[in-house]
Amino acid sequence: MTLRDKKSEALFQFAQYDAAAAEKSGYSNYSYWRSTLSVFLHNRAAVALLIVLALLLLFTFVQPYLPGQYDANVINNHPETGRQLSNLPPSLTTVKVTVPEGTLLFGAPYDEDWYYVTNVMDSIDRRQNMTITEYGEEFCHIEFEDISGWVLTEYLRLPEDPQNVPYEAMSNYKVDVYMEPVDVTNDGNSLYVSADSVRPVEGEEGMVETVGEADLRILPSIHAFWFGTNNIGQDLWSRVWSGTRTSLFIGFAVALTEALVGIFMGVIWGYVRKLDRLMTEIYNVLDNIPTTIVLILIAYILHPSVPTLIFAMCLTGWLGMSRFVRNQIVIIRDRDYNLASRCLGTGTFRIIFRNLLPYLVSVIMLRMALAIPGAIGNEVFLTYIGLGIPVSIPSLGNLVNEGRQLITSPSLRYQLIFPAIVLSVVTISFYIIGNAFADAADPKNHV
Amino acid sequence: MLKYCLKRLGASLITLVIIISVVFILVRQMPIEGYFDNFDKLDEAVIEATLQKMGLRDPIFVQLKNFFVQLLHGDLGTSVRYRIGAPIAGIIAEKAPISAQIGLSSMAVALVLGIPLGAAMARSKSKFWDKFGTLFIVLITAVPSAVYYIFIQMYATEWFHIPMLFDRHNFVTWLLPIFSMALGNIAYYAMWLRRYMVDEMNKDYVRLARAKGVPEKKMMMRHVFRNAFVPMIQYIPSSILYTIGGSIYVESLYSIPGMGGLLVDVIGRQDNPMVQAIVIIYSCIGIVGLLLGDILMGVLDPRISFAKKEGAR
Repeated sequence: MTLRDKKSEALFQFAQYDAAAAEKSGYSNYSYWRSTLSVFLHNRAAVALLIVLALLLLFTFVQPYLPGQYDANVINNHPETGRQLSNLPPSLTTVKVTVPEGTLLFGAPYDEDWYYVTNVMDSIDRRQNMTITEYGEEFCHIEFEDISGWVLTEYLRLPEDPQNVPYEAMSNYKVDVYMEPVDVTNDGNSLYVSADSVRPVEGEEGMVETVGEADLRILPSIHAFWFGTNNIGQDLWSRVWSGTRTSLFIGFAVALTEALVGIFMGVIWGYVRKLDRLMTEIYNVLDNIPTTIVLILIAYILHPSVPTLIFAMCLTGWLGMSRFVRNQIVIIRDRDYNLASRCLGTGTFRIIFRNLLPYLVSVIMLRMALAIPGAIGNEVFLTYIGLGIPVSIPSLGNLVNEGRQLITSPSLRYQLIFPAIVLSVVTISFYIIGNAFADAADPKNHV
Repeated sequence: MLKYCLKRLGASLITLVIIISVVFILVRQMPIEGYFDNFDKLDEAVIEATLQKMGLRDPIFVQLKNFFVQLLHGDLGTSVRYRIGAPIAGIIAEKAPISAQIGLSSMAVALVLGIPLGAAMARSKSKFWDKFGTLFIVLITAVPSAVYYIFIQMYATEWFHIPMLFDRHNFVTWLLPIFSMALGNIAYYAMWLRRYMVDEMNKDYVRLARAKGVPEKKMMMRHVFRNAFVPMIQYIPSSILYTIGGSIYVESLYSIPGMGGLLVDVIGRQDNPMVQAIVIIYSCIGIVGLLLGDILMGVLDPRISFAKKEGAR
């Protein structure tokens, strides 16, 4: 009840003597964690990124169980020819081309649900003279010996005025001759169509006719390669998520180990006075060693695998954490409440766990949040210089590195861009959330 | 002062000896294939004889002693796979100048761009420059450098029609590697300078100066910037460390014939003595950088007491 409630009758009543109210002392309902949370929630960007990150994390775990996912390590081949489906561009469907009703195609049943179809009648070897009877931007109608059909214009060596049919022309490559001016192949391989949308043509062996508009697909499957495939035909979408899983695992493992080792060493260093001098000297030596070098050296000596990578990163990472914990402990270990606690006979462990460490939780969490993107970045670095995880285990480092080798061909850059985007989103989110949390955990920012 | 310098120098030397010993012992744990260029074709007697000749069958401490004696004579050993039988010191002497040129130019670029950016950020608190700078710093520090190095190489070479690979005689090809390597340090300098300047601006003497009517610009330059710059000095040598990490990426991305690219090469070929030598050289550069930083800091700011410096750095 405040003075603002002037209307309130209660203000004009005589107060009753209340023993409990008399005992009440000045009390603020300030709670450190509640204030931290409320300051954090006011930072909209950080909250948004936290949500993004949480969804992303959830998704990496859910993704393999979603319907229609390809395995990250399975090399996808064309079912008929066995050739790898390499470097397929990103696409939301497996549909290569859609043809109208009544299109005649060569086809045969693939299994119960699918037909494989093509409209290649024949092919003509390179450097053969053929007669062009009709010219088009994409397809030209040609006649060659007893073949008459359509070929791709870009494969022909045409005269200056190609419109002036008929004339003789030569093909630069081996060309496929199509029945209609449409390419019903995937780089020469046959396409697939669901059994419902075609029917056999009576009297013509091996011919089918489409019933209604038909989607011709590169695979007997409606599950697309959303991020395309890499150069040996693995599904990039599932590789990106599998890689994110690996990288996040490395990040969390490193952050956790660093925190545990760092806190342990830091507490000993800060709390045991006799060790302070010695540990400080050791620290000064170790801290002078460039971390990049330690990372390279350890990764070079051990066989590259996920655990060795984590080990190499932890070997340098705990140092900063332990120094930090030590400095904080030195500051608060001799405060009055600790003195009082010790006088009352509290055990050392209890003092450390109940009196000291809770003060450090926020900053330890900050360091852990920043250690995760650091570890992910280090993994990318080590992979880049050839000391990373074997390629059979997808990781963001491996994917970026594989993509990097393709930057000279612009059409394949998606293989770098997708992993790079996921990598950047993950690292930036952790960085911003970590910093926002550190701001929020600082009591100076609490109202 | 002299005492402090000597003490600091001593500590650095001890660190260096420890690092060299550790590196040496660790590299000795590698499989012996790394000491031969054609291990599979040799029979065991030849391998054994060669190892004997190279002194690799001696007790490890004898090897270590020999290695230190070698080092003091400026001999880093010989390459076994990268360039068979060539003295490593020679190979490095030929590569190091390019790395040094690129590294130093990138640090100069970082200073020239990073310091004004930091100052501009501190002056325009939560206005355009501050926001722009913060965005830049977050991007550069959070995103792994490999990603933006690769993207710079991919798109900048295309937009400006610069050749993708480095050519010593073509000036244009120097620009992208230098700029890429500078990015990390630009963000680093800007971030710290901004932080120190903002701290400094909240101090009483600045408030007094402002009350007294000192023009804003003069106050910034004469008081705030000067005081904020002193702690920055110690970051400049230690940012050599960043340059080392960057150089490893950038040099191999642009095929620059320098030390960083060399390290990636010899790791790929498992040339143990070369890896060992380059790692040792990089550690030396790092340690010398930190040492210079501490001494420079002491020289520039006499307020720092040399007696009590426990736990710092």
